[in-house]
Amino acid sequence: MKYFLRAVFLLPLFLCLPSGAAETPREIIARAVVSTDAVTQRTLVSSLMGQGEEVIPELLTAWRSDAIFLYKTDSATIPVVLSGDKDAAGAQVATRVDNGQPLQDAAGQPLRIVGKDYKTADHTSALRRAMKAVLDIVDLVSPNRTKRLQAVQTIGQAQDASKIAVLEARLPLETDPHVQRALREALALIRLKDANEAVKLAALVELKELSTLSSSDFLKKFLTEAEAQKNATLIAATKSALHSVETHRDVVDFLGTIFRGLSLGSILLVLALGLAITFGLMGVINMAHGEMIAVGAYTTYLVQNIFGTGIVIPFFGLSLGIPGMNLSGWAYQFYFVAAIPLSFLMAALVGIGLERSIIQWLYRRPLESLLATWGVSVVLQQIFKLMFGSNNVQVSSPVYLSGNWTVNDIIFGWNRVFVIGFALMIVFGVWLVLTRTSLGLLIRAVMQNRGMASCMGVRTERVNMLTFGLGSGLAGLAGAFLSQIGNVGPSMGQNYIVDCFMTVVVGGVGNLPGTVISAFSIGLTDQALQQILLDPVIGKILVLLAIILFLQWRPAGLFVTRSRSLED
Amino acid sequence: MIKKFVSLLGVGALALCAFVGSASAADTVKVGVLHSLSGTMAISETSLRDILMFTADEINAKGGVMGKKIELVIVDGASDWPTFAEKAKQLTEQDKVAVTFGCWTSVSRKYVLPVLEKNNALLFYPVQYEGEEESQNVFYTAEAVNQQATPAVDYYLAEGKKKFYLLGTDYVYPQTTNLVLLEYLLSKGVPLENIGGGFVKDSSGKITNAGKYTGFGHTDYQQIVAEIKQFAASGDACVISTLNGDTNVPFFKEYAASGLTAETCPVVSFSISEDEFRGLPAAQLVGQLGCWTYFQSIDSPANKKFVADFQAWLAKTTATGVVKEGRVTCSPMVLSYDGMYLWKAAVEKAGSFEVDKVRAALKSGLSFDGPGGKVTTQKNMHLTKNVYIGETKADGQFKILKSFDSVYGEPWLKGKFK
Repeated sequence: MKYFLRAVFLLPLFLCLPSGAAETPREIIARAVVSTDAVTQRTLVSSLMGQGEEVIPELLTAWRSDAIFLYKTDSATIPVVLSGDKDAAGAQVATRVDNGQPLQDAAGQPLRIVGKDYKTADHTSALRRAMKAVLDIVDLVSPNRTKRLQAVQTIGQAQDASKIAVLEARLPLETDPHVQRALREALALIRLKDANEAVKLAALVELKELSTLSSSDFLKKFLTEAEAQKNATLIAATKSALHSVETHRDVVDFLGTIFRGLSLGSILLVLALGLAITFGLMGVINMAHGEMIAVGAYTTYLVQNIFGTGIVIPFFGLSLGIPGMNLSGWAYQFYFVAAIPLSFLMAALVGIGLERSIIQWLYRRPLESLLATWGVSVVLQQIFKLMFGSNNVQVSSPVYLSGNWTVNDIIFGWNRVFVIGFALMIVFGVWLVLTRTSLGLLIRAVMQNRGMASCMGVRTERVNMLTFGLGSGLAGLAGAFLSQIGNVGPSMGQNYIVDCFMTVVVGGVGNLPGTVISAFSIGLTDQALQQILLDPVIGKILVLLAIILFLQWRPAGLFVTRSRSLED
Repeated sequence: MIKKFVSLLGVGALALCAFVGSASAADTVKVGVLHSLSGTMAISETSLRDILMFTADEINAKGGVMGKKIELVIVDGASDWPTFAEKAKQLTEQDKVAVTFGCWTSVSRKYVLPVLEKNNALLFYPVQYEGEEESQNVFYTAEAVNQQATPAVDYYLAEGKKKFYLLGTDYVYPQTTNLVLLEYLLSKGVPLENIGGGFVKDSSGKITNAGKYTGFGHTDYQQIVAEIKQFAASGDACVISTLNGDTNVPFFKEYAASGLTAETCPVVSFSISEDEFRGLPAAQLVGQLGCWTYFQSIDSPANKKFVADFQAWLAKTTATGVVKEGRVTCSPMVLSYDGMYLWKAAVEKAGSFEVDKVRAALKSGLSFDGPGGKVTTQKNMHLTKNVYIGETKADGQFKILKSFDSVYGEPWLKGKFK
């Protein structure tokens, strides 16, 4: 009925068409782009379904990725695609969508246009879905594996019997094992709708063998239908298929939880390692640790803007303009790699400044160091507010950190894999510094007995300064990473400081391996509880409760370190 | 501390103005503004103070209310609920304001309520809330659940969505909204197993809690996103999010990283407006949906004039603490603006500033053509208004996909959908 109405509504539109030759796909797309009516747009796009012209996926993909622009003249709006490099005036060559010819001015000369001449052609999610349906059929033979996979899944889930022939034709040609599986699943799902019971049974056997998570809903629905029909063979076959899907789901959940636990543990570790040095080794109750993390995150934000269009920072009435490098593409995406060492340096410098100005007077007075660093943390938060505003700032994720590998239905997010590797590298680096360098030797000497080390000729002041700088720099690294998964704002440090102290205290103050083990234990426990209870709030409460009980049992944490620095 | 000092100065300056202008005191009417100008809520609420200052200036420039100029008494609720009650007391008992505009969180409103009822004062409340309340001392210009959440569900159903995942921050507004949504979805024939997020049942088997909740400031959304991914594996799924504030950032970053997109499984958020967008990563949010009674992108002369006037006011205002760069307009701001004009209309209709008479005028069904379209007051102290569904764009604005005209504001929804 709905479609009939739409057809009636569209009829006058078609009548308005110039008579004669049918529209080319280019013309249809051009008309869809300039149309202001969402239904017309969708109908036009859907009419391209099944047509083989190569230009269709090219233009639809361009539209979806905001690469089709509307060029406005006085009389008309012309959809164009831009190409070539920008010249000195920022102008680019434009190609008309409707005929593939270069855009021309009144005199028939090719026209180069600049940014203010055009705007991006809009699209809605419903329209993108219509485009996707067209592209799905095209995508079945796409060289891109992900695209083929998605296309097959969408077609299968629609359970449309008319698509069986296309999928069957594709099956022997497909070389990728994942897409092959998806094709078999799609065919089986469509065949569940078949009238013939033997076909249904064969489909169920196939689904049991494949055991995909995506088939579970369809199987459950099928089970209710089979039960309604009281068909015992079908019920048994469906139950057996469902059972094998659920077994698979348990495995996915179990392995997924372990991976997520490791990733959360790595984040805690990166966060807490700096504190394990400033608090654990040096004995400074460093309440400003969270703000050192924020320094790292804001450095990442600055680097991002310097790689981009630049930034203006108001600072005590002065306005500091930093020009940008206006990079794009991979050069811009590289910003995060550059930001990592810079965050370390920046936070280390701030840490050294803090140590020289305040903390060096407080080594023997831990309670006062708590108050002083808490004050510093408030001051730093205000400075962030003055420089960057009290709102959170936007840090975008580079492409190489915003995808995932999905192996056997378990998601391995690139950012999560990165943090695990990152954490291991940092731990390894810190271990190298502490055990294989002369600075490490001095640090350990000073931390064990400051007075004695001093008597032996160690310049303890300098070692203290560098150690605090190292701890702060590590916090800066944590900040650079956190900008990829969470908020960057003036009070972001406050959100993490409790977790940091918790990790260090559970691991045993002054013991770096203890911090590593405690970070991973807390991470795994937290994720396991979330998975079992399915409630993050109660999960978090239980973790905290477990830690309180643990500290009742072992007040000094996992590993007890005897160090004079704590007894000074 | 500094902020408090500045705001004290501000109050002092206002008091001074009042004193200087006391000769013409008969020509002004005091109007209270009760928002958090410091603390965690300041980011959102300061915008509402700004828009109220703008509205008062605009009304005064046109001759005021019944010939009297509006004199704003601005106080700071400081994101602290008992402070809200204290300041409300100060406004009603000491300053004797004719009306107050204010509050953002539901809990601040609940704290202010007894003060208002004791003194028979009137508050205009502008921010989407959970309903289940109808005080004679509050006029709710806010979106009720049926002016935001249920239209979003209607939109999803029309788009062919079959599975709904409910997710929210752990406090009263998301929990109440999700319970109402659960009833609504069931009434629309969506089976219980197609509603994700989990349920809590009491001993009799009645569902007392629906959806997945995370605390304020939660940062780790891995497990939830993995669950949504499994939920959405069989297609036609969507997420209804009442996540609040900056927890949206880690959620959407995780969501995008796991490969879920607006095309495969869209998210509609009820707490992200243009104003919140200023601190969110645009790339991860593009294509996700919002649902409000106003978007800055509404293409109407009234809205264009409103946006331009507000920007012009921002450029020339000398008031302290007003941020001038990168400002946008959003639904709570426009509902504050509409509220002040509706109050003006009610006063003029009643011919008096007396609360009882103004209330009676409000209940009689006054209309105002605001930036978001026509709004009309109702007997139940709520507002009939248009509802829009929009899709987020990379520039932090919304492309409007669908609008519902003149939706009646209904606060009592629990148990309504059978």
